[in-house]
Amino acid sequence: MRRFHWAFFLGFVILVFGVLVASLGWGSVKVPPGKVLAVLLHPGRPGLAEAVVVKIRLPRALGALLGGAALGVSGLLLQVFFRNPIVSPYVLGISSGASLAVGILALSALTAGLSLTPSLLALAAFAGAFVVTAAVAALAPRTRSVVTLLVIGLMFGYLASACTSILLAFAEKERVHGFYLWTFGSFAPMDWGKVTVLAAAGLPLLFSSFLLGKALNAYQGGEEYALSVGLDVRRFRVAVVVLSSALAGLVTAFAGPVAFIGLAVPHLARLVLRTADNRVLIPAVILLGAAVTGLCDLLARQLFCPVELPITAVTSLFGAPLVIGFLLKGKVRM
Amino acid sequence: MEILECWELAAGYGHRTVVLVEELKAHKGELICFLGPNGAGKSTLLKTVAGLLAPLGGAVYLKGERLEKVSLKERASALAVVLTDRCLPGLLTVFEAVALGRHPHTGLLGKLSRRDERVVWESLRLVGAEELASRFYGDLSDGEKQKVLIARALAQEPEIMILDEPTVHLDLQHRAGIMSLLLRLCREKGITVFLSLHEVDLALKGTAYVVLVHEGRVLGMGLPEELLTAEAVSRLYGSGVGEFDPVTGAVELRLPAEGPLVFVVAGGGKGAKVIRALAKRGYRLACGVLPENDVDVFVARGVGAELITVPAFAPVGKEALELARPYLKEAQAVVDTGFPLVPATEGNRTLLKWAADAGKPLFSLRSEGFPSGRRAAGLTALLQMLENLFASA
Repeated sequence: MRRFHWAFFLGFVILVFGVLVASLGWGSVKVPPGKVLAVLLHPGRPGLAEAVVVKIRLPRALGALLGGAALGVSGLLLQVFFRNPIVSPYVLGISSGASLAVGILALSALTAGLSLTPSLLALAAFAGAFVVTAAVAALAPRTRSVVTLLVIGLMFGYLASACTSILLAFAEKERVHGFYLWTFGSFAPMDWGKVTVLAAAGLPLLFSSFLLGKALNAYQGGEEYALSVGLDVRRFRVAVVVLSSALAGLVTAFAGPVAFIGLAVPHLARLVLRTADNRVLIPAVILLGAAVTGLCDLLARQLFCPVELPITAVTSLFGAPLVIGFLLKGKVRM
Repeated sequence: MEILECWELAAGYGHRTVVLVEELKAHKGELICFLGPNGAGKSTLLKTVAGLLAPLGGAVYLKGERLEKVSLKERASALAVVLTDRCLPGLLTVFEAVALGRHPHTGLLGKLSRRDERVVWESLRLVGAEELASRFYGDLSDGEKQKVLIARALAQEPEIMILDEPTVHLDLQHRAGIMSLLLRLCREKGITVFLSLHEVDLALKGTAYVVLVHEGRVLGMGLPEELLTAEAVSRLYGSGVGEFDPVTGAVELRLPAEGPLVFVVAGGGKGAKVIRALAKRGYRLACGVLPENDVDVFVARGVGAELITVPAFAPVGKEALELARPYLKEAQAVVDTGFPLVPATEGNRTLLKWAADAGKPLFSLRSEGFPSGRRAAGLTALLQMLENLFASA
């Protein structure tokens, strides 16, 4: 790690904390930062501010922070794995796969009268994400072209969306509305139950991804170089496919498909830190992903209050021009 | 003991065998070069020897043990590769790129120890890339990237290095640099080097042992000086391009010659550049009279000129002059290249006199001494004069 990285990391941590405090304080009930800190230090006390901050805003804010971190790391893993700077869970259709699985579960379970626990949702989303990731990973060696891979991902996305639409067409109308809103992506439905599952599964996954840093670095020169320095490529591939789909699936289960975080945040980290060392990038992406997503969620909630925007609307408005800019300036380097 | 052995090795992809090698043994500090045209199967063979591809038949033995049985980590500390793909992330510094080679020697997080860092610096020093250490890999030239990849392989502290076309897309200076670096690694570090090349001259001049690979078969192995005859090379690459000359190690291009016949009186190496320049402009050429060991002979033969020769060190005698006479008669121009005026070349002066007497257009590149014909100040002037001559005719 280069020496100046520490300064950046300190900045990232402050940024995440700032976003958290802003998310907790800003809203129809304004809570000043000092009060937010007081509430966080003594969460048990009764009162309106306490109730709003702890019961409503905190799970949502934590969900956005964790979700952003997970999406960012998932994107980073995929970019290294496919040696392609413009892939992400959203672009490769992984989020759509997760959506389809959640759709199948949600629409059929409701008709069958099953109760949808957060962990059940997460498992379904993971299964959907895993199938698409594994399929893309299996097809990837057949093409050397960066563009073909993207098109394959896009097509998987369309396939999954088509299936979801068919499912929706046959579903009962009153159930459709909730699911339909969910497909736009939002951290609004986060509650403590969902955040607990998100954290319990997400944090170990993030930590495992960090442990994969050395292998990711070895893989950057391609499969043959990785094998030649002693990396067990087969195990590595399984690890990346499982981790990236689990991270992306987890977020999708609770917040719906969220675009651009997985694509833009790794590049943002590379741009700021000027490094390709994944042992440095993964923690940076965790912090930056959390900060950016937290901020986007805050904007989605507050920009046109009381109307709430889908989070993908906000991330895309920021992300798409950013990515086009990167591409045109040739700054997309890995 | 042999450090690496191949027995009845069939290398290829899927079910398709690309190359077959019956037997190949490599000892410590040897440099073995797979030579052959593009698509001969050299890369496939190297990748199989490196254990990156599973053999379709037969086996590779690393220090007496079947390569498949050796653990990945052990393999990685014995065997390092440099492939033709020079893709590494652009945002990696050169030091970090070379440090990737320490992978088999570092712990869970890949943290470099003092010793690891020393090895990385030493590897950079060996390839002469120390001053690049803090540059970004993406900002390097092709030659520099190749050096860094070799340093990366060295950082693995391997006993065997396997390089696929290490000189491809490099300029002359870097090609020579890479070859002498590899030879030095063999001699000083005792590393066994396998590499593939498609350039015959580089193989002849830069390697000590070659394996000729052609269309999936090994045509022969041994000293390049013995193996690389003109016939072997034309069998390897096809005879369409030109003649390989084992003495100079060069291939003269056989170019279409349909123009007027020019008689070049050469000798002592004065003719080589004239012959090449004329051949490229499409003149048919006759050259003489030359002793067999003259360098002009190799060039003239290479470009496909008619040759009148005498045995090595023999003077230009009457018989040779008679052989030259018909060509001289047919020639539409005669060039005196400025061959050395010594007793042995007395006969060539006679040739020039004959030409002058017969009224042939005679041009001379000689600045002083024996005067004959119109003086051309240099090659450019000579070519211009010939062009003018034939344009008016």
